[in-house]
Amino acid sequence: MMIRRFTPVQRLFHLLLILTFMIQAATGFGRLYIETAWGKSLAGVFGGYTGCLAVHKWVGILMLVLFLLHIVYAVVQIARGKVRGRDSLLPRLSDVGEFLQHTAWIFGLARQPRFDRWTWWEKFDYWAVFWGMVILGGTGLILYDSVASSRVIFGWGINVALWVHRVEAILAILHVVLIHFFVAHLRRTHFPMDRAMFEGAVEVEDAQEQRPAWIERLRATGGLEGHAASGAPAAMRAVYFVLGYAVVVCGVVLVIYALINAPRVTW
Amino acid sequence: MHPAKIIMGLLLFSLWALPGPVWCMEVKSDVHRYRNYELSTGYYERYEVRPGLNRPLIMDETPTRQGILSHGPGKATVRIRTRLEDAHAGLLFYEGRTCVDCHRQQGTDNLHVVRNDLVCRQCHGGEPIASVNHYYSPLNKIRRHAYICAKCHQGGGISFASYLVHEPNPAMASTRETFPMLFYAFWAMIALAGGTLAIFLPHTVLWGLRELITGSKKNGGDEP
Repeated sequence: MMIRRFTPVQRLFHLLLILTFMIQAATGFGRLYIETAWGKSLAGVFGGYTGCLAVHKWVGILMLVLFLLHIVYAVVQIARGKVRGRDSLLPRLSDVGEFLQHTAWIFGLARQPRFDRWTWWEKFDYWAVFWGMVILGGTGLILYDSVASSRVIFGWGINVALWVHRVEAILAILHVVLIHFFVAHLRRTHFPMDRAMFEGAVEVEDAQEQRPAWIERLRATGGLEGHAASGAPAAMRAVYFVLGYAVVVCGVVLVIYALINAPRVTW
Repeated sequence: MHPAKIIMGLLLFSLWALPGPVWCMEVKSDVHRYRNYELSTGYYERYEVRPGLNRPLIMDETPTRQGILSHGPGKATVRIRTRLEDAHAGLLFYEGRTCVDCHRQQGTDNLHVVRNDLVCRQCHGGEPIASVNHYYSPLNKIRRHAYICAKCHQGGGISFASYLVHEPNPAMASTRETFPMLFYAFWAMIALAGGTLAIFLPHTVLWGLRELITGSKKNGGDEP
């Protein structure tokens, strides 16, 4: 039996975030590394140095629109009472306790925390997008039209905005590729990939093992049957697998080449 | 209410609500005219950016180098070049040199050169290259936005020209003195990024190793 974890709208938001994030990472690195042969090749995919900037700006605006739409969606969901209590992604004090207990489990000092619907790292990843969008979106808007921005802020603010944008973008890429991809795809219990965000549903048996508090809560309230869902057909699973690994490979290649070429760039 | 009070009230109201005197409107319109220039194409008439416009004395905050012997026979050896009509006047073998032979750092500390393939003369002009603080230099702060920046960045105003093309290294301690906002913003972001990765990268690696060792219950593993 499978139960639903993500709605089609939530999966669509995630899919669009994947696509826009990867395009932004590639076009941003294309410009940052334009002094290197790799940077020139990467930028060439998007029409060169100026083409990269054009794509980066348009996709950046699309990301901001999606971000605003997501906020509206979240507010509507909260107003309709769809997310409350443990179904909410709002941080709770118990998340800190679960993080500490999970860390202690890594060292063999405690049992695994009994996770509910959302683990501490899933909440962290969710809110990290908000933090990233505020910093990257805010500085991105300043840099979008620097002449217009300089009528509102001092021109030297563009120097500051560029550095803030750059460091935050590198942090976001490293976090997504090195940490998020590993947690979602490569650790032993989820290898070769956690399909939940693509299919929207998970096996009850897996959920019982990974999120026992959630399943017990659903059983206690009689909501387990109400969450029943069907998995994706084999052909769609293949598509999800190829798409997921294509993104992982692209991300890893971007990070490896970025690290190799970092000393060759004028920062 | 007494009619006098009503009339006084209306008078006071009119002072506040009705348009001010002509001289007052002139000041306002002057401000708006200037603002319109700032919002317009960025192309300026020569008289609009000439030195001394509304200011009898153009001052500059650039610290000047004090000669050891500012008076006396040795003074000629200490030459302050920040205000010369020809910044390179008197330099030996000047004709055979390129800009970056001497201005090595300035050749690499700006994105205009390293990313956009601009050359020094596109901003600093042809020979004789005036010092940036020379009265009639196109790079003088009072007209830099109009004569230099707006050539590519149409509409760039005085604020826009405060963008530092020759940007100091934000990580350096000296930047705290010269450009503190950049220094503190940079280090705040490095602390944020470094802190996040310093916590979660080792955590993820150890997590992966832990799962590798124990596996999951489903696969016959043991999870204490």
